[in-house]
Amino acid sequence: MAGFLHWKSLRRRKQFEAEMREEFAFHREARIEHFISEGWTREEAIRLARLEFGGTERYREECREAHRVHLLDEVGRDLRYALRGIRKNPGFAIAAIVSLALGIGMNTVVFSVFESLLLRPLPIANPDQVVFVETQSGITHSFPNYREFRDNTSRFNGLAGYRMSPMNLETKGDPQRIWGYLATGNYFDLLGVKPALGRFFHPEDDRKVGASPYAVLSYNTWKARFASDAGIVGKRVRINGLTYDVLGVAPEGFHGTELFYWPEVWVPMMMQPQIEAGNAWLDNKYTWDTTILGRLKPGVTAAQGEADLNRVANDLAHRFPESDQGLRIKLSQVGLAGSAGRAPVRVFVGGLLLLVTVVLLTACLNLAGLLLARSSDRQHEMAIRSSIGAGSGRIMRQVLTESSLLSVLGGLMGLAIAAALCGLLSKWHAPVDFPVRVDVSPDWRVFLFAGLASLATGILFGLGPAVSLSKTDLNSVLKGGAGRAVLKSRLRVSFRDLLVAAEIALCFVLVFGSLLSIQGLKNVLNMPLGFNPEDVTTIAFDVGLPAYDKAQGQAFQRAILEKVQELPGVVSAAYANSVPLSMDQSTTGVQAEGETRQRGRNAKHANFYQISPGFLSTFGVSLLNGRDFDEHDTEGTPLVAVVNQAFGKIILHTDNPVGKTFRWGPGGGPRVQVIGLVQDGKYTSLTESPTPVVFWPIYQQYNSTTTLVVRSHRLSSEIVTDVRRLIGTMDSRLPVYGAGSLNTMLGFALFPMHAAAVALSAFGLLAIVLAVTGIHGLVAYAVSRRTREIGIRVAIGATGFEVLRFVLAKMMALVIIGIVIGISLALAAGQALSSVVYGASPKDPVLLLAVFVALLLAATVSCWRPTARALRIDPVSALRYE
Amino acid sequence: MNRKQERAELLQGTLDLLVLKAVSLGKLHGYGILLRIEQISGKALTIEQGALYPALYRLERQDLLDTEWGVSDNNRRAKYYTLTRAGRSRLQKEQQSWSRLVGAISAALAAEPTEA
Repeated sequence: MAGFLHWKSLRRRKQFEAEMREEFAFHREARIEHFISEGWTREEAIRLARLEFGGTERYREECREAHRVHLLDEVGRDLRYALRGIRKNPGFAIAAIVSLALGIGMNTVVFSVFESLLLRPLPIANPDQVVFVETQSGITHSFPNYREFRDNTSRFNGLAGYRMSPMNLETKGDPQRIWGYLATGNYFDLLGVKPALGRFFHPEDDRKVGASPYAVLSYNTWKARFASDAGIVGKRVRINGLTYDVLGVAPEGFHGTELFYWPEVWVPMMMQPQIEAGNAWLDNKYTWDTTILGRLKPGVTAAQGEADLNRVANDLAHRFPESDQGLRIKLSQVGLAGSAGRAPVRVFVGGLLLLVTVVLLTACLNLAGLLLARSSDRQHEMAIRSSIGAGSGRIMRQVLTESSLLSVLGGLMGLAIAAALCGLLSKWHAPVDFPVRVDVSPDWRVFLFAGLASLATGILFGLGPAVSLSKTDLNSVLKGGAGRAVLKSRLRVSFRDLLVAAEIALCFVLVFGSLLSIQGLKNVLNMPLGFNPEDVTTIAFDVGLPAYDKAQGQAFQRAILEKVQELPGVVSAAYANSVPLSMDQSTTGVQAEGETRQRGRNAKHANFYQISPGFLSTFGVSLLNGRDFDEHDTEGTPLVAVVNQAFGKIILHTDNPVGKTFRWGPGGGPRVQVIGLVQDGKYTSLTESPTPVVFWPIYQQYNSTTTLVVRSHRLSSEIVTDVRRLIGTMDSRLPVYGAGSLNTMLGFALFPMHAAAVALSAFGLLAIVLAVTGIHGLVAYAVSRRTREIGIRVAIGATGFEVLRFVLAKMMALVIIGIVIGISLALAAGQALSSVVYGASPKDPVLLLAVFVALLLAATVSCWRPTARALRIDPVSALRYE
Repeated sequence: MNRKQERAELLQGTLDLLVLKAVSLGKLHGYGILLRIEQISGKALTIEQGALYPALYRLERQDLLDTEWGVSDNNRRAKYYTLTRAGRSRLQKEQQSWSRLVGAISAALAAEPTEA
């Protein structure tokens, strides 16, 4: 029966209450009748009965407690109560939920990025055995060296070589420039992946050069370009003008071992001369274009594997000093183009993680402050609840329920924000001609992280106010002296003070960091590029893709250039194999005349561009001395070059290298004369130090890769359309890529800094929002605590100014203390930031002052409303109120 | 606050015993239990009447009392309490330990000072 009742009360709490009321009423009525029968009047009987019974509400509460309603029911009641509280005070709830949502949302996004880049294992068999083989100076090897390593190591189950390569894929006569992999026959076996359809190629499919026209499609390509054709296996596709058999389709989600690179097709390595027509390097010891992966034998450590490969490397250096002297092998984790790629990603993501943790911490401090402030409003209510018999555990549970509810709501909203942002990030395609993709679909670990983060926040920062409330001293609160009682308690005051100061300090660091990075970005944008990107349009294509030979290619390049020069509105046009700050940068070995030969990996290198006459002026590169190339610098005439200032200083040790000669090529090749000097610029990245660069006449050195550069006041898009049309009339099979204004293309070089600046600005803004809500809550708290005190002061003649000082003096002192701490933290953090952010000085007084003023302003704004309330306090009602 | 709670504990224990005893004599509603306690204690024990109900709810929750709704002498709906088997054995135990306690305290209070 009791169990039944218990169940009933769980299901129908209302019935429990009704029955209790009825029982009490029955008692009272019976008693009243008893007194009337003793001769009392009805009024007196009612009074006596009530007196004898005692506090009805108190006994009801005790009955409920005695009945010990099921915990779930209690939680339900607490939740309803908490919801009512939120409805009654939506401003507080919104501030708390929004700040938590932002904090948790940001954390979740950054954690997903962190997880997908650095924690998630690659979709291959036993990924921890697979290592990336790099050298001390780069991530690539010559193919002959790959063979040597593969055949002479005993510590590896296998070494696979691969190469990212652009390809021209023709489907239904429509040429598409795609990116793919040339991979050795053991590539798929070594990674241990299973095809989604058909089969992969194996070592026996990759033995003879040019004899294995096979292609494996990526899952996405199969879906997008071939409409998930179930009968694709055995069909044929045309790549770079040759027919390839489709062997199979890679499993969904498999995209090789580089996290950012999503190739569309894999072709056996032995097809390299066909894929990269005119540049066969399978037997060339000087072309270092092969990337190597290794699978260690079980039980072999990376150090042992590295030592084993170095044994081979020493042998190579001994046998082939021209190409391999000084060769050292280093193993690193796969995924981010070796250690060179992993380190910056780790620094960047790690920095972000640190930053968002600071944001979350600020949000938590905020919640704690708001709960404290709120608890001041509720002290009276809690005192009443406890006086009518609610136990201290009950009150704590109630407060914790409320803070947990807030944090869970905040967490849910944060998760929604995170999911939306992650979706955007995964869909995002970098504005470059390269299959860059980041897959940050949040998985269960991310959800777990967000859930734990929000719950921990709620409990941790609800606990303080909960404990302080449950210890509420009934008498002093009910007598109206609570304000004083709390203020006397030194510990609590200093805790709140700590919150304000800490929040301001963290806020200062975040705002300072974001301004610093924005300043850095501005510095970079104002930096001399060494060329003038305004009004320049670039259009790239590769005459090697339709398999033109050199004569055909050269004829095509010249013909298209002539036609483009005749287009209306074109000031000038030229072409080159590549342009500065594009993705495609090449270096070559160079050596001053008469210098000791530096061989192999120790040789001096310079970036090089092969350019047509007029390129320098079209691209806006200033010629400082000497002359540009002309029509006479062709094959058969003496080798000439234009170099930049850094080349003069670093390679030739002179400020005016015009007329000097140097040796070109690995290990001291032919002699070249410098005929022109141009200004230094940026070539690979915007933050690089001066880099030696040499320009070759493209009429002397043919290259099938072509980037047309056009200077015109017309819109870039119009130029692109015109040029595409021209190319289409000349060869409809030639795919055009990388077309657009030079400024847009530079967006890629600027992208990391843009991303950092946007992220940091968002965080800075977020920090200010958080600080404003937090300070507002705390000042409101202080004012409401001291309403009585202010009332007395006004009553004895305090002026508005004195009230203002009374309310704000301490808060402002705390703000200043916070800012001072913030400045020292910011200086320390700025030191670290200045290594990432170009040309930004963390000691910039203007910047520090700006942040200082901004924060002071924010603090003032957030104090505004509660202060105004304090000024309006009417002494009479204030004293009566308490 | 703490001291108050301790005192309430002591009172509760005694009240529980009295309630069990009163109900053991027959089915009763809440008000009836109050009257019965007054009657059997010769009105020597007075309690605040509301305090009876938390005790009743507690005992019911501990399965010492059973409840059912019935009709009172003056034809009104009332909630009646009866003793369960567990309640009966609890009453016995409590009665014994109460007697022991009373005996011990009485003996202690009756002791004469032997040495000054």
